[in-house]
Amino acid sequence: MPDFSSQPFVEVARRLEVQGAHSWLAVLSPLSDPTAACDALSTELESFLQTPVRVVPLRGSSFERLREQLHQPEHDAVILFASGDLEAGEWSSLDSMRSALERRGPVVLWMAPDAVGRLTEFAPNIRSFIGSSIFLAGPEPGIMTDKERESRLEELRQHYQLSDQEIVRRAEAKELPPEPHFVEWLVLVGRGDLV
Amino acid sequence: MTRDRALKRAADIDRRTHLEIGARAFPSPRKMFSAIRAYLLRRSDDIKTRNNPIQLLKFAESNGVASIVLGPGIDKGPTPHDFHFDSGARLSFALILRERDGGSQLVEFRYHYQLPDQLPASPSPGYFRFDLNRSPHTDPLSEPRCHLHPGLEDVRLPISLHDPFEILDRIFFVLEKAV
Repeated sequence: MPDFSSQPFVEVARRLEVQGAHSWLAVLSPLSDPTAACDALSTELESFLQTPVRVVPLRGSSFERLREQLHQPEHDAVILFASGDLEAGEWSSLDSMRSALERRGPVVLWMAPDAVGRLTEFAPNIRSFIGSSIFLAGPEPGIMTDKERESRLEELRQHYQLSDQEIVRRAEAKELPPEPHFVEWLVLVGRGDLV
Repeated sequence: MTRDRALKRAADIDRRTHLEIGARAFPSPRKMFSAIRAYLLRRSDDIKTRNNPIQLLKFAESNGVASIVLGPGIDKGPTPHDFHFDSGARLSFALILRERDGGSQLVEFRYHYQLPDQLPASPSPGYFRFDLNRSPHTDPLSEPRCHLHPGLEDVRLPISLHDPFEILDRIFFVLEKAV
């Protein structure tokens, strides 16, 4: 398998927008929890493209059913979910209906990394829709690292001249002041249960 | 007597804020994080100053409570972690949401819009800060639950409850346009 670049889903959404109408690209799902990752992609597309997103499974979908799903409506974003067990014959069938798959709204082909070979071999026309736009699902950016958490906590400790333990104690005693900062403090020390 | 009445009226405002918080449902914290990032990316594209909201916006959660933050918690001068505007102003914020029924509810927020540096004698307020406290203060007249600091740390003027995007709208499309 060639080396594909890893892209966070927000970048995938931006690329789809840049490509404009009729855009196609493929995202290679992570090995762990691909369904949750697909949901995350759906959220990101919806947020950035400001359009509804539908996940359409390829497995078990008839020609007529798939065509209907892609064209009614045809302006929203669609994630075509190719499960890992999609076989050669099913890829070939998909390829034979390539004209019916063309639509105005963006399409993301979501598939397992090891499916790229079958896509190329058995669905060359779909592969050409996608071109070089194949990306590995990248990690979600913006999740606070331990170092970032510690840096924010230190900022709060210095500003209020209080320790984490004192904040937790006050929260348990329901003595925290109401103004912003203290709830964030509890989240940062992993005590959201006290909010 | 007059102050007592004023306190009662202020407490009524806080009660309305409380009811409104309970009545407003938002998407899940992760969806809000994604939507705020998308909003900031759009706004970044509208201005000349370069910002990278993908790097600037941060998410943390604990026990069903999530924090979505940008920039430092306490403004002490410009940093690379703020969102910078063409006017020279900068923005930092923290939004806290509680997961509820597959969506979320507001807990508190703090949006700090720092105006460009002014001469010491300038009449500029220096900053505007929109705060939602997580609970009412014992003195709702001095500290309404949802309020605006018009550049004076001890002055808190009550405002109606705004959702996280409505506050960003005011900052990007009203304050920044007037600077």
